Amino acid sequence: MTAKEVYKIWAPTGKKWVDWVRPVPFVGIGQYQKAYGIINQALPSIQFLNQTENDELNTILGINGWEKEYLEHTAIIVDMSGDQSVGYGVAMAGYGFRPIPVYNGTLEQQGARATVDNQSVGMALELMAKELQKISLADDARPAFLLDRNRLNRYKLEDSVYDNSWDVYPQDLPSPDYLLDSGIENILVIGGRKISRDVKKILVAHQKKGLKIFHTDGYEKPRMQLVWKMPSWD
Amino acid sequence: MRLVPIPTSEYEEYRLNLMFDCYKWDPQFLDNNTVAKYALVITEEEHRQISSLTESLDRETRAAEQFLNNHQELVGPLKLTRQLRGDIGHMSNYNPDMHIRLTRYDFHPVLDVEGGWAISEVNSDVPGGFAEASLMPLAAIESINRAHISQIMEKEAYHIVSFGDVMLEAVKKKVKAGGRIMLVHCTCYSDDRQVMQFMGDRLKAEGYQVIYGAVEHVNFKDKKAYCVLDGNKGELDAIFRFTPLEWFKDIKPKRWQGYFDTETTSCNHPVAIYAQTKRFPFIWDVLEANGISMSTWRSLLPETIDVKSAAGREGYIYKPAYGRVGDGISIREALDIKEYEKIMKDVGRHPGRYVAQKKFASIPLKGEGGEEYHVCLGSYAIDGAHGGYYARVSSTPRIDSNAADIPVLIEGGGSYDR
Repeated sequence: MTAKEVYKIWAPTGKKWVDWVRPVPFVGIGQYQKAYGIINQALPSIQFLNQTENDELNTILGINGWEKEYLEHTAIIVDMSGDQSVGYGVAMAGYGFRPIPVYNGTLEQQGARATVDNQSVGMALELMAKELQKISLADDARPAFLLDRNRLNRYKLEDSVYDNSWDVYPQDLPSPDYLLDSGIENILVIGGRKISRDVKKILVAHQKKGLKIFHTDGYEKPRMQLVWKMPSWD
Repeated sequence: MRLVPIPTSEYEEYRLNLMFDCYKWDPQFLDNNTVAKYALVITEEEHRQISSLTESLDRETRAAEQFLNNHQELVGPLKLTRQLRGDIGHMSNYNPDMHIRLTRYDFHPVLDVEGGWAISEVNSDVPGGFAEASLMPLAAIESINRAHISQIMEKEAYHIVSFGDVMLEAVKKKVKAGGRIMLVHCTCYSDDRQVMQFMGDRLKAEGYQVIYGAVEHVNFKDKKAYCVLDGNKGELDAIFRFTPLEWFKDIKPKRWQGYFDTETTSCNHPVAIYAQTKRFPFIWDVLEANGISMSTWRSLLPETIDVKSAAGREGYIYKPAYGRVGDGISIREALDIKEYEKIMKDVGRHPGRYVAQKKFASIPLKGEGGEEYHVCLGSYAIDGAHGGYYARVSSTPRIDSNAADIPVLIEGGGSYDR
């Protein structure tokens, strides 16, 4: 598959939310500098503590009082490490969510050590495109925005390292008004012990507009979060 | 000047091609599509007029900055930051013949200025939009003509001025064949990388060795630039910088002063800072008293005064002295009340960080359905010669990050006629 063909699987023309798919990791497909493979191509199972594999997603994600209708008004942000988030996104597609990759990290200069392995994300998108193709999604399926949590690795031991870490910014995601107009009332962030700083900064505006924010590390049941305090950027 | 639609049947493929073949990696900004559904077509006469004005403006800009660099005791009205005031002291060895000078002047069609054009600013330090000014127009011509062929309509003839071609010629004049060129940018931003990647690929195809890196990846010794990036160490033959100078103080690279006195070919050399600040007009009287004409600038830039002088006067907008991409400008009708009040509050708190500029009446162009678009037509100068166009359109008079990129085509045949 060409880079364009892979992109079109993730961002099929005319479907809701696909305008937010960032082309950056797709553009790099076929131009990789490092040779390695992603061995684990199996989709992760989405299961939280005290739940069985056979539970419906609304039950799995269920916090007190969550009904199916409630989940229908939820957008998801998957914020996990590298290719893990890609796999998780495709697994979410199995539950009716459209995975929207918003990865925005670039490849490092050839020969240089880098702070983030953005290449692995592009490779995972390419590999997982075949899995995603098998899943039929509604045209207006709810979104699951995919982020690489490794994007925040910006510690440099010395100047000679290439810093290709990145943040997600408000302009990378739909506005709170757009989400509300689309019937989205809740945002569930999956991944990490707490919501990362850049995501939190974006969600302050969403919460002010009335969207409810939930978080789970991917194991515990989701809990509602208050993100009123504006964190500062790095 | 008119808008020509990208045929609906072609638009999705056109947008996809821009992403994958034309370095357009930011096609969406919040809820806005940043790829216009039109091309901006200018007449040959408009092209001649704008390119001539661009070259006149650039002559004045370059004469001004060279004079100011030799008379730094006069730059007070520019109110450069304390850090920059210290750093420009290192630029006494600046020789324009060694460096490549790139600028972009933002033109607007207007009602109330003789000649029908006003400029809002010069992007003096690190203008962007390279691929949009080189490949995007070609993709638009392909799309328009492909639709015409399928509808058995006569092809329309357009040509373009390719920024990439003009820049490459400028590089070849000043950087030895096969030389090592470092493309200095904020490596955390894909928006910056897309600009650099376009330039890098053009240079690489011409036989240059290209290195992508950040400001801290350049070291200086005996006024020569060296790359210190892992696996790419060694002397550089040129620096192509896309990191704004005023960001250096936040990035705090250890050896940044080297950029100011390096003899390694630079595009741009930090001498660009004199015209980058929106306070540049505040020094024109001094320049003219010393024989530097600023007549083209005066005829095209709306009256610009300091914030305190504008107090109580109608018809002025406020712009950050170091603003970029139109953000932070107080055009009331283009903003919601909250954003407008936020800007005005900041103007009140920090008047020295803003300038007041007489508001001009932008003439909007009409789209197919009668919708109106305001135009900002950026015109490049590269070492004094016109170097192509980068344009944006917006439904409001403020052209900012929410605006859409639009390719610029020139009516009639030419070297890029398709």
